[in-house]
Amino acid sequence: MKKEYIYSVVFVFLLSAVLTTILAGANAFFLPQIERNEELAQKRAVLYVLNIPFQTDADVEQAFAEQIRTASVDGIDLFVQYDQSQVTTGYAVPFQGSGLWGLIRGYMGLSSDLDGLLGVEFTEHNETPGLGSRIDEEWYKEQYRNIPIEDGQPVLTDDDGDRKIDSITGATSTSNAVIDIIGRSASNAVETLEGEL
Amino acid sequence: MGTPAAIHPIVILLAAIFTSNMVLANFLGMCPFISVSNEYKTASGLGKAVSLVMLVTTILNWFLYHYVIAPLGLEYLRFILFIVVIAASVQIIEMALDRYLPELHVKLGIFLPLITVNCSILGISLFMVIRDYTALQTVFFGLGSGLGWWLAICALAAIREKIARNKLPIGLGGPGITFIITGIMALAFIGFAGTLMIQ
Amino acid sequence: MDQLKLIFKRNLWNENQVLRQILGICSILAVTNLMINTLVMGLGLIFVISFSSLTISLLRSFIPHRVRMITQVFIIAAFVILVDITIQAQLPEVSRALGPYVGLIITNCIIMGRAEAFAQKNPPLLAMADGFLAGVGYTLVILFISFIRELLGFGTILGFNVNFAGFETWTIMVMPPAAFFIIGLMVWAASAMQLSRQQTQKPAPPASSVGQQASR
Repeated sequence: MKKEYIYSVVFVFLLSAVLTTILAGANAFFLPQIERNEELAQKRAVLYVLNIPFQTDADVEQAFAEQIRTASVDGIDLFVQYDQSQVTTGYAVPFQGSGLWGLIRGYMGLSSDLDGLLGVEFTEHNETPGLGSRIDEEWYKEQYRNIPIEDGQPVLTDDDGDRKIDSITGATSTSNAVIDIIGRSASNAVETLEGEL
Repeated sequence: MGTPAAIHPIVILLAAIFTSNMVLANFLGMCPFISVSNEYKTASGLGKAVSLVMLVTTILNWFLYHYVIAPLGLEYLRFILFIVVIAASVQIIEMALDRYLPELHVKLGIFLPLITVNCSILGISLFMVIRDYTALQTVFFGLGSGLGWWLAICALAAIREKIARNKLPIGLGGPGITFIITGIMALAFIGFAGTLMIQ
Repeated sequence: MDQLKLIFKRNLWNENQVLRQILGICSILAVTNLMINTLVMGLGLIFVISFSSLTISLLRSFIPHRVRMITQVFIIAAFVILVDITIQAQLPEVSRALGPYVGLIITNCIIMGRAEAFAQKNPPLLAMADGFLAGVGYTLVILFISFIRELLGFGTILGFNVNFAGFETWTIMVMPPAAFFIIGLMVWAASAMQLSRQQTQKPAPPASSVGQQASR
């Protein structure tokens, strides 16, 4: 009886030691690739919000090397886009806010004179799959392309007070939250950047 | 730029019970939900046991994650570690009930071993990590998810008792009709969606 | 060979884990709104169930009885973590869409079920075949569900647009209740077929039943 007990403990211990070793190995093997994926995803997001076309990973790296530089304003790490004559053409600013289920993070593109929202991309969110998570879909994100910014506020409603952004059916809360986050973050970003220009 | 994780705990509680119910919106904990729901009393017993284990394990896993897993960089092992915590808690809860509340143990005892492999228990621990909840939010999330699961299985069992004697087309009885009832319940729960405002 | 044939028939139709045993619904229904996600989850499950059945069968004479559940969970969890790390590294987009659901393969009752009911009593290769086929039977069913949901909900098949003029996509197909309705109807159809066959002929179902499942 006693012997059987010790055997069980030793068995479980050995098994977990073996399994943990294998998993630690696999993790170490794949970690560089996972980190590279994350870096690429961030770069893609920045290019997307600035409306810079890209196809392959090589395009991403090339566009980044030629046009984008990092900068830090008021402790916020942002990306600045330059054209060939080194004139600033746009900013990609990180934003975050609470969605229905947790943090929504992403980037928004702002024009160089801060009078237009160029686009948005979400890099991280936990909205319900198939409902709120449809904010990742092209048609939804494209609605935020080239929105004028007046008096430091993005104009997300038309003259009649109707929204320019169509909500996602069945995910009203997420849609409202996103519009709110974008509106607030854009005006914050404009305020911060204006002080620096 | 926006305060991270500023969702009020009460909102999380209500969302976990109604709008984003573990079973009806996230499909977690389906197996016992379908198979143990033909009798109201048993269903309610299982619901209580699941609620208790959910609350205890999410809190334990929150501390495990934030004080052990994250500092040591063991994120990739979290599935295994969470499962161990869940299995151990179920065992301890069972022994504690046996010792101090034998009556409750008789009622809930048979369900406890089943709970280790209930997906919703591991599910909420994983959601809690991904959604960056604070300790307080985690308590309300665990509580809400448990209550939501309990509510859903009781409602389903009550409906199934009502229709137990109705005549159904051949083959539809049992699991088939249960899924369809669950679908209608899920539709009804979506109706709660607009009632919760964020912030 | 006969035994293999028996396992084949049983897992794909006679005792199909989803349609007959109503097992393993939890972890995958939530990702059945797009076929590509479903396919990845299904392949992940097939991998995990095959290799965990193999491992458990190989170790079956060493596993102490009293700790066999936790041992099985350990082995399953280790394979799931492998799948998770691999998906994160190779398919970052899919990994983002699946979120925590990959981890939930661990608690998929099918894997534990096959380990308990078959792998711990049978030789390794047979156990692996059993796990593999149980996984395939499962994946076929959830692929069928996601096919209907994606076609009607988004008007696409595996991401290819097949929208014809005037077709209005059904929002309900994207939402959770649709999955319940479809699986309910499938379970109904499967048990109605089984019952009517039992009425017409008493002996075991004919071999053609396998073909029917494959053609679904």
